[in-house]
Amino acid sequence: MADTILNVEHLNKNFGSKQVLKDVSFSVQTGHIVGLVGPNGAGKSTIMKAVLGLFNYASGKITIDGDSVSPTSHKAMDKVGALIEYPGIYPFLSGMQHLKLFSKDATSQDQIDDIVDKMKMTSYINRKAKNYSLGMKQKLGIALALVNRPKFVILDEPMNGLDPQANKDLRTIILELAKQGTTFLISSHILSELEKLIDDLVVIDKGQIVYTQSMAALESGGKKLLVVKTSDDAKAKDVLAQGGYQLDKAAEVSIVEKDDTKMADVIKLLSDNGIDIEDVQHVHSDLETSLLALLRNDKVKES
Amino acid sequence: MITLVKQEMYKLGHKKSTWAVSVALLVIMTIFAVLSKTHPKYWGQKDMFVTMYTGGSWVVLFLIAACSSIIAMEFQYGTIKELLYRKYYRGEILVSKWITMLIYSIYFYLITFVYSLLLKVVLYNGSFKLSDTYANNQSIIQSQFLSLIGQFVSVWLVLSLVLLLANIFKSTAAAISIGIIGYFALSVVSGLMFVLMQKWNWLKWNPLNMMNLPAQLTSDTYHKMTLLSTPEMVCGSLVYTAIFMAISYVVFKRRSV
Ligand SMILES: Nc1ncnc2c1ncn2[C@@H]1O[C@H](COP(=O)(O)OP(=O)(O)OP(=O)(O)O)[C@@H](O)[C@H]1O
Ligand SMILES: [Mg+2]
Repeated sequence: MADTILNVEHLNKNFGSKQVLKDVSFSVQTGHIVGLVGPNGAGKSTIMKAVLGLFNYASGKITIDGDSVSPTSHKAMDKVGALIEYPGIYPFLSGMQHLKLFSKDATSQDQIDDIVDKMKMTSYINRKAKNYSLGMKQKLGIALALVNRPKFVILDEPMNGLDPQANKDLRTIILELAKQGTTFLISSHILSELEKLIDDLVVIDKGQIVYTQSMAALESGGKKLLVVKTSDDAKAKDVLAQGGYQLDKAAEVSIVEKDDTKMADVIKLLSDNGIDIEDVQHVHSDLETSLLALLRNDKVKES
Repeated sequence: MITLVKQEMYKLGHKKSTWAVSVALLVIMTIFAVLSKTHPKYWGQKDMFVTMYTGGSWVVLFLIAACSSIIAMEFQYGTIKELLYRKYYRGEILVSKWITMLIYSIYFYLITFVYSLLLKVVLYNGSFKLSDTYANNQSIIQSQFLSLIGQFVSVWLVLSLVLLLANIFKSTAAAISIGIIGYFALSVVSGLMFVLMQKWNWLKWNPLNMMNLPAQLTSDTYHKMTLLSTPEMVCGSLVYTAIFMAISYVVFKRRSV
């Protein structure tokens, strides 16, 4: 078994009589970027807060780097940086003062300047944070999570409000830190962004883990389709089916691509049968498609 | 813990209101000192000095505001998460805030005391001596100092309640209003309270009665109304302060954020 930095075992959490987390178990491997996704209210933020020792939980066990975490046991938090939901900001401090306030003694001014520079915040870092825009505040929150160079970083919807350039910058920073060994647990609804980052995926729905996989496994499990537009779709479907191709249930002519599927063969077969081809497209099922299918089919019931 | 107190001081020091309030305090004291110089009929020179040119009353207001905001602002600004998920224990976070407020209160009483001495020397050097007898066979400076100590103890009784309320309501406004009303309600209800205490003796242990400590320290007859000796009052105040602090501690530790 590979080295894990975070272990969550059989975690249960109630708010009053509502059970928000049900027997949640997953682990995060050191150096990996793990995506935590699920619908609104699924319990992503709740899991993250529990991992940060912000609440008591009914039962279960959380360990970071071998040290158990609970509201009364915070030793492991020394290695953790986080941004949960939205950044907390003191209106009377500037961005730089926030970074100074929360930086450890071991964190040098150079390290602070470095993160400010990488997040492209230099032009406004000395202005009062209360006048920041949504995205500027968000960037400050991310910078605060990263400033002490923690081993393990938890980011709850970090892309919230970021412009495309900032998104790209953030991605670069995360990938660079991950290469140096930092572990990330990131929740986001912007799946197209998340997809470009993560190694592993944890899917949660209504407080239960419904899926944990590496991205590689998810991608290879997803169908690749060859979608063809022809002069006579009905006839084309017949011809292809007889030709031994597997067709996807869809209005268009979509062939499930296998390793030995060759586009040239398909085109030849169709034109041999007098069918004109107007357009050909490769369709990959992306994270969004896979996730929506997964959530549609999961058997989790609201309690 | 020292790191945490330093961080709290950093925040306090970067708030404009912290310094604005200190300047306001000195300006108000100066105004009252000048008024008592020009109109000694309305503002007795010795009385004004003993009450530190009204400085003591203002300090109470400022401290109530500061104590409620040091707790409630974290909830208001959403910074409580950032404070709590670090390696420190929750109790330490709260205690660091208390220590910061203790230092802040000492700072206020110190500048009020020193500035009142300064005003006396500058404006009234010839008019009276600090060693003149004031009341209760105490000298002026003794009276002033004792009432300052009394104020400090009873202010902390109020502040512990304000800290608790800020913790429960997570709102600055609620804690400030109840704190201020509580403090100034004393003068309104004390007459009635003294009457009731004659009837039900145990009522003398109520927290409002403890607030009479500064008055009792500078008078030889006050204990007949409060029905408590000075040491009893000091102990009572400290016990109430400790109880309110303990409840705050428990509430803060159990809070979900
Ligand atoms: N303090 C609280 N008190 C009561 N219920 C809460 C509290 N915090 C969260 N919940 C409930 O817990 C559930 C999970 O909330 P959580 O914030 O973890 O969702 P999420 O997955 O982060 O959703 P989103 O994608 O919208 O951020 C929701 O049903 C929410 O109503
Ligand atoms: Mg959330």
